[in-house]
Amino acid sequence: MAIPIESLPPPGWDREGIDGLLGLFPPGRLSEIVGPRSSGGSSLLLAFIARITTSGGQVAFVDGMDALDPASAAAAGADLSALLWVKCAGRLRAALSAADLLARCPGFPLVVLDLDELGPVPVSAQIRLQRALEGSDTILIVRSARHREGSGASLVVATRRLAPRWMGLRPLTRLAGLRSEASIARSRLHPLSPQGEGRTWTIDWTL
Amino acid sequence: MTRIACLLATNEPARPTALLQVALAHSPRVEDAGAGRVYLDASGLERLFGDEPRLAARLHEAAAAVALETRVGIAGSRIAALAAARRGAGTTIVEPGGDAGYLAPAPLSLLELSEDVAARLSRWGLRTLGELAALPTAGLFERLGGEGVRLQRLARGEDPRPLASSRPVPLFEESVDCAWGMETLEPVVERMRELAVRVCAGLSARGLAADAFEWVCRLDGGGVHDGALAPAVPMTDPVAVAGLLRLALEARPPRGIVQSLTLRARPVRVIPAQESLTDRSRPSPRLLAATLNRLVALVGADGIGAPALLDSHRPDAVALGAYHPHPHPLPLPLPLPKQPSPLRGEGIVSSTLALRRLRPPAPAAVTLASGRPVALRSSRLTGRIVAGVGPWRSSGEWWSQHPWLRDEWDVELADGTLCRLAHDGSAWHLAGIYD
Repeated sequence: MAIPIESLPPPGWDREGIDGLLGLFPPGRLSEIVGPRSSGGSSLLLAFIARITTSGGQVAFVDGMDALDPASAAAAGADLSALLWVKCAGRLRAALSAADLLARCPGFPLVVLDLDELGPVPVSAQIRLQRALEGSDTILIVRSARHREGSGASLVVATRRLAPRWMGLRPLTRLAGLRSEASIARSRLHPLSPQGEGRTWTIDWTL
Repeated sequence: MTRIACLLATNEPARPTALLQVALAHSPRVEDAGAGRVYLDASGLERLFGDEPRLAARLHEAAAAVALETRVGIAGSRIAALAAARRGAGTTIVEPGGDAGYLAPAPLSLLELSEDVAARLSRWGLRTLGELAALPTAGLFERLGGEGVRLQRLARGEDPRPLASSRPVPLFEESVDCAWGMETLEPVVERMRELAVRVCAGLSARGLAADAFEWVCRLDGGGVHDGALAPAVPMTDPVAVAGLLRLALEARPPRGIVQSLTLRARPVRVIPAQESLTDRSRPSPRLLAATLNRLVALVGADGIGAPALLDSHRPDAVALGAYHPHPHPLPLPLPLPKQPSPLRGEGIVSSTLALRRLRPPAPAAVTLASGRPVALRSSRLTGRIVAGVGPWRSSGEWWSQHPWLRDEWDVELADGTLCRLAHDGSAWHLAGIYD
């Protein structure tokens, strides 16, 4: 049976690799990436930002802790001129308000709310963000260290640290990267598909 | 064969662009040289205006119609046309091929030399363009370089640079006179609506919109009533503009009999949210401006923008520039991801590891053993260091007032956290956490 052309991924899009994971984040819904420090959550975000900006999209990055490293983003392939960086200096309410404003501004395919240790997002704020996204094409991803029970996120991706990778014999000479695992902790979108809950990706993050 | 006409104004024009408009009415290629001087390409205009004396006469007539007194010089190069316009009143025409001979007695000051070059030429005893043109080119190049050769070519009437086309900034202004006068507001509003329709039509024809409108009502007795309005978004809709003008006039009506009305619009180019089918849509300018203003109120003007990497090896050398969403043509096909292809056999994919910066870096207490860090204590992270690499030394700006020096270590704590430590020569800091 012929595959409808609309369903074909763009050239270069790797369905089985990281692009397959990034393709699961639903437009018009709230999603979460949760995981402890050094579990690859921020790297996953930057990979997503790079995919969006290099294909011509604009990304808003609400930085709760002012932790974004633009050099890392550029190394991941992101177009920094297409990135709106909102620094909130550790103020949770300002970060939530900024994300709410940006979710209501059409034209940003991706809005990132990076809370890290400021998170998780209060349930009331989640509902407000979810309402702001309704009917839009914006993907809103919240990055926090912990997942809150009762969260309204449609997709929750949990990241887990596996092992760092070093270069050189003893003594070690250089940090080469990190191997981590990303898994679908919750999906309200694909309950019966093979891309549903429990699917995992092992990712080598390289420096 | 190129023919250039120089139009030189000898009195102050009433409007700054009047001379340019006169030239543009006769030739499509016009260069505004400033200081009441324009050059126009006179080649091929014979069939429109007749021979060169007739063209010059038309230029004089058109300039006189806007109260300009002019001189006209026509020659094969800009400099010869300028010399001709300056030398004689009325019209001076240099015959084709006669530029060098015509320029020979002209003073060197015609070349608009820099002080240094003028002094050197003066020391050589040169006074006229003819003397400069007669010098050996090779010797001139040895002493003055390419600039000397360029000046000599100009002195010989050889001007390879094409005209730099000038266009006046479009003015969107409409006026109406009412000799009988308008005593009540309603006819004023109606005349203003008509002006708005004409102004908006002009804007639409050029693909522009207006973000500000100004009006002037000249009153009986010499008084003036003026005002301005700035709509929330740039617009070209005459109905909406007329409605705004009505509201503004009703709020502050003219006090007297209105004899004439003038409406002027300030044009701006509005970038569409999506310029082509292959572009992703961008934030609408109106919504984006409103959102950015609210964000500035929320986090401050220095907390929002597009990040830009500075040309420095200093760690975290980043600036926050203005954010202007611009169209990126979507390349077809999409570029392949820069990261290595996934290792399908093992189900492992690869991408770039991110560092989360701590701003400012958190002061830390680091215990050393044999010169290597073995324990970390800071407000953000505390633990035993089980592996580490370093130091990676970097330094810079030692030539300035703010030199910097850093030793950096990448370490793994006992709980698995990977972080970057930095020692600036006096103290340890936790610079960032890999994530």
